[in-house]
Order: sequence, then C-alpha cells, then structure tokens
Amino acid sequence: MVYDMILPAIPFIGGYLLTYSLYRLKLIRKAVHINIWNLIIGLAFLISAGAGFVLLLIMEFNVKLPISPELLYWHVELGITLALVTVFHFHTYWKSAKTMLVAAKRRRSEA
Amino acid sequence: MKKKIKSTLSREKLFPDLSREKISSTLSKENLRSVLTKIPMKQKIFAALSTIPFIALGSMSTSCATTCPYGMVNDPYPGQCPRYMDVGGDGFCDFSQTTPTTTTDTSTTDPSTSDTTTSTDDTTTSTTTDQGQGNGANAEVTPDQSTDTNTTTLPDDPGSDYGSLNGEGTNYYVLPVTLIIIGGYLFTYYLFKKGILKRNKHKRIWNLLLTVGYLGTGITGVILTFMVNLGIRTALNQSITFWHVEMAILMVVGTFIHLHINWKPFKNIFRVLFGFKFNSRRDPTKAKGTSK
Repeated sequence: MVYDMILPAIPFIGGYLLTYSLYRLKLIRKAVHINIWNLIIGLAFLISAGAGFVLLLIMEFNVKLPISPELLYWHVELGITLALVTVFHFHTYWKSAKTMLVAAKRRRSEA
Repeated sequence: MKKKIKSTLSREKLFPDLSREKISSTLSKENLRSVLTKIPMKQKIFAALSTIPFIALGSMSTSCATTCPYGMVNDPYPGQCPRYMDVGGDGFCDFSQTTPTTTTDTSTTDPSTSDTTTSTDDTTTSTTTDQGQGNGANAEVTPDQSTDTNTTTLPDDPGSDYGSLNGEGTNYYVLPVTLIIIGGYLFTYYLFKKGILKRNKHKRIWNLLLTVGYLGTGITGVILTFMVNLGIRTALNQSITFWHVEMAILMVVGTFIHLHINWKPFKNIFRVLFGFKFNSRRDPTKAKGTSK
C-alpha cells in the first residue's frame, strides 16, 4: 500500500487559505479562524495519536485485530494532516513561537 | 497435637452459628435476588464497566498469537516493525509468515518452504493474506531480491536502539518516559507556583519540548512514510520507528500539558465555535488567555 501524501493535504491547505482570506477580508472574526484550526488540530491529534496508541498496544501484546492494517493506514494519513496543521498552528501563533525560540529580552536588545 | 489443632480449627468452634441449612438459606435464589435488587443501578453499571479492562486483558492473553500484528505476509528483512524475527534465516519475518507450529501436518506443507525449519499451514495462509494495506507487505518480493539472508537475524541486544527484537515485546519505554515528563512538569509547575520560575519561562520550556516532540515525531513519521512508499529498506527502519514512538510519547504527553497550560483558550474553542458557556467564578473581563 502506498500512502497518499499530497491528496489528504490539499483540502486542508485550501481550507486554511479560505478561512485565512475570509478573516483578512474581515468576513469572519480572527477568533473564529483560529478556533476552527485549533479544533481541527485537536481532532487530527486525537485520531492519529489514538490510533498510534492502539497500534502500540497491539504490538506490545502481540494481538492481531482485523482492523490493524486500516488503523495503521489512518494513523499515517491523519499523521500527515497533523504535521500540516501544526505548520498552520505555528503560522497562527507566530509571535508566541518567536518568543519561544528567541528570548524576548534578546530580541529587544537586537532591535 | 494434631487432635488439638483439629479440634481448635473445627467448623463448629470457628463458626458456631454456621450450619448447612443456614448457608443454603442465605444463598437461596430469593435472598440473592433481594440483595441484587437493593444495589443501585449506577453501582451495577459501574461494576459491570469496571470488569471490561479485565475481560479485555484476559481475552488478549488468550488471543495472543505469533502472527504479524499488522497482518503483513512475507515481510522481508529488516522488517517493518521492531518485532522482526527470523529464526529460519529465510529473509522473511517469521511473524509475517504463517504461524510456526509444532504439529506434523505434512500434507498441507508447501513444498517450496519445506526446507525451512517451520512447517506452514495452508488454511492460515488463506486468512492472513495481505489486503493491500499497511506498509505494502511486499509478498511478491523474493528472497534473492532482498539482502543477504545470512544477515537477516539482527543482534539480540536489549540495550540497542531497536528495542527488543527477539519477539518478546517491543520494549518501548512508554511508562518511564511518560513518568519522567509528568515529573518534570510537576517540578516546573511547583517552581512556577512558588515564584521561583516565571510564568513565561515555564511556558517556554514546555512549548519547546512540545515542539521537539512534534518535530521528532513528524520528521521520523515522514521519513518512514517515504521509506514505505519508495520501498526503501535499511537497517535504520527499526531505529527510526523506535524514535518515532519515543518522540510520539513526548508529543502526546506534551500536548496534554499544553492543554493544561492553555486551558482557557482551549475552552474558548467550544465557546466561540459552538456557543458553550462555562461557569467562570472570576470576572470574565479579567479572564486571561482569551483567543485573539
């Protein structure tokens, strides 16, 4: 089985661009745009991490379930989505991310 | 002496009021029924639900099989998961092949695999064929296309990066890593509450660790996906899987910590999108951490 890497990413890139442009055009509030993507990242995390945890248990206990291959497939696909939405999350909270990477004091002194 | 002990431990002395009739009357259907009806429904449901993990564990231990947990067939060296084991040295993971049995069912043994040390059962083969999912299974890969079969058995070194490869468990450090992370969080939280650590620094530490977790899991995950898609098989596969799992533990625990630190913005998701209202004891105008 070859995992799709581009196909599951397209609707999310399109969706992010859409809500971002709606927010820039002041058609929706910034809070709505941010919270939509916070919810999506939460859901992607829940499914991907949940499936990963179940797979880990399956391997630890050496249990064979009929849904194991499907679980692995959706773990990978949602994992790709999660990675992509994490990039969006960084974009949304870019100021906080910069503070995290470079201390505020240092940035002030550089300026 | 023996008689003395017997007399002291006799039923009459230990339980003077106990008689066969009394026991049977106490355990009578009517009595049991009345006792059961007295137990509240909530308690009954809770008791029933609490047995689920034990039943699951019990069924797991009995259903443990020596087959590939991913349902792969003929997974070649070095295998797609850290459970890779090749006792026969035929270049394929023993778990992905049919169940090794000790029975002497020679009538169903495939002649092409008769030189291996394990006999194969045709009925099992038919049920465990790869459905085209998960890591490609590559049943069509012949041993001569894979690497040298002499090198198929990896060193059984419990301290190596691979975890345990001897099929007795994957040896991921789930619990120790989780406990270390939670312990670290409690420590920095204590320091922050005592005023030794600033709130920003406390947040920064855990945001950085979460980023490391996400980056580590994401990068190793993407590498693994590419490896599976492109059919790249190296001895590094298992090492990458190991670090993928360990980083994922950091990511998952870190995410829960992230939610704890940013609890108010998390609640705001439901307030803004679904209109949920949470009872806030504080003045809402002074609430911190509201979304932009």
